[in-house]
Amino acid sequence: MRYVIAGYVFVLFVLALYSVQLIWRRRRLARAADLAAGAVISSNGATGAVTSDPAGEVVS
Amino acid sequence: MTDDPSTTAVTDVSGPAPMAHPPAGPVTNTGVSPVPARSPRSKLVERSIGTIALVGTVATVWLGIWVTPPDRIQGDLVRLVYIHPGVAWVALYLAFGLAAVSSLLYLWPRTRSLFWDRLAAAAVEVGVVFSACTLVSGSIWGKPTWGVWWAWDARLTLTAVLLVLFLGYLALRQIPAEPEVRARRSAFVALFAAIDVPLVHFSVNWWNTLHQGATVLNPGLKLKIHGSMALTLLLGFVALTLVFVWMLLVRYRIGVLEDWLAANELDLALIERQSEGGGPVDGGPVGMGAIDELSTDRVVVA
Repeated sequence: MRYVIAGYVFVLFVLALYSVQLIWRRRRLARAADLAAGAVISSNGATGAVTSDPAGEVVS
Repeated sequence: MTDDPSTTAVTDVSGPAPMAHPPAGPVTNTGVSPVPARSPRSKLVERSIGTIALVGTVATVWLGIWVTPPDRIQGDLVRLVYIHPGVAWVALYLAFGLAAVSSLLYLWPRTRSLFWDRLAAAAVEVGVVFSACTLVSGSIWGKPTWGVWWAWDARLTLTAVLLVLFLGYLALRQIPAEPEVRARRSAFVALFAAIDVPLVHFSVNWWNTLHQGATVLNPGLKLKIHGSMALTLLLGFVALTLVFVWMLLVRYRIGVLEDWLAANELDLALIERQSEGGGPVDGGPVGMGAIDELSTDRVVVA
């Protein structure tokens, strides 16, 4: 039975670890994109620059 | 998949390209495209799939370890059947199959779009993880049944070759190139690597191997197990398929954001330079601070 447990633990652990890594990567990139868009806003002032709002939606 | 920049509603951002010698102070127009947005519906779909996949996986583990009976010959070792073929199914047929189809659609002139390239890249990365799980879980099963952790058996060897080929695909994508060039060469490599998929599938029929024949996807499509064991096996396939779909959605979104940052890196750096009141930017190093670090492989959020 220890081989069975080892097999399940390995597969589930790897899939869980990869899932967490995916979420972390996406969050990091989304923050970087929002930060960049924020820089565009600040450099444009109130001139109607295209960027994203805090929820990540496109605004103009 | 609604967040593909090519399909997202884009507000007009047309205007002059960044000037070689821009004036200091506020910038009134930029070449920066909007951040690709995700609709609330796509977020809901993704969360729903993730939740169902998690519940299905937990149910498979519970049924596989505590509910289903041991096998007459293999004893408790048969419980690995509820997870090992499932991860192999996702890796070989779903992930690498999808990568091959997407690559073909990219190369086909009528359907050429970076959407297919991103989809193929996402499928391969997820497939590599599942492929590694297939090899390791198979090895763990092989030790008590065959007496060895590894044998140079046709199916095992071809599966290992497949993993190496798609690792090469991922390495190739890291080579700096224009998106179209990268997409084209990646598509060719994916199609070449995918030739190994049918070889892996039919290896147990074509050659004498240690590995058992197909339990589900056999020539007659006759399920060779019964009752609660068959139900748990089926549930495992469904749950792991949903895990794959969820991972694919998240990984695809990562590709979209990476491409957006890479495409706008120079414009963003120019804007930052202008907002700092910098002078001429042509020919010299551009961008400072947070945006300076924006690239596909190293992003630092200040």
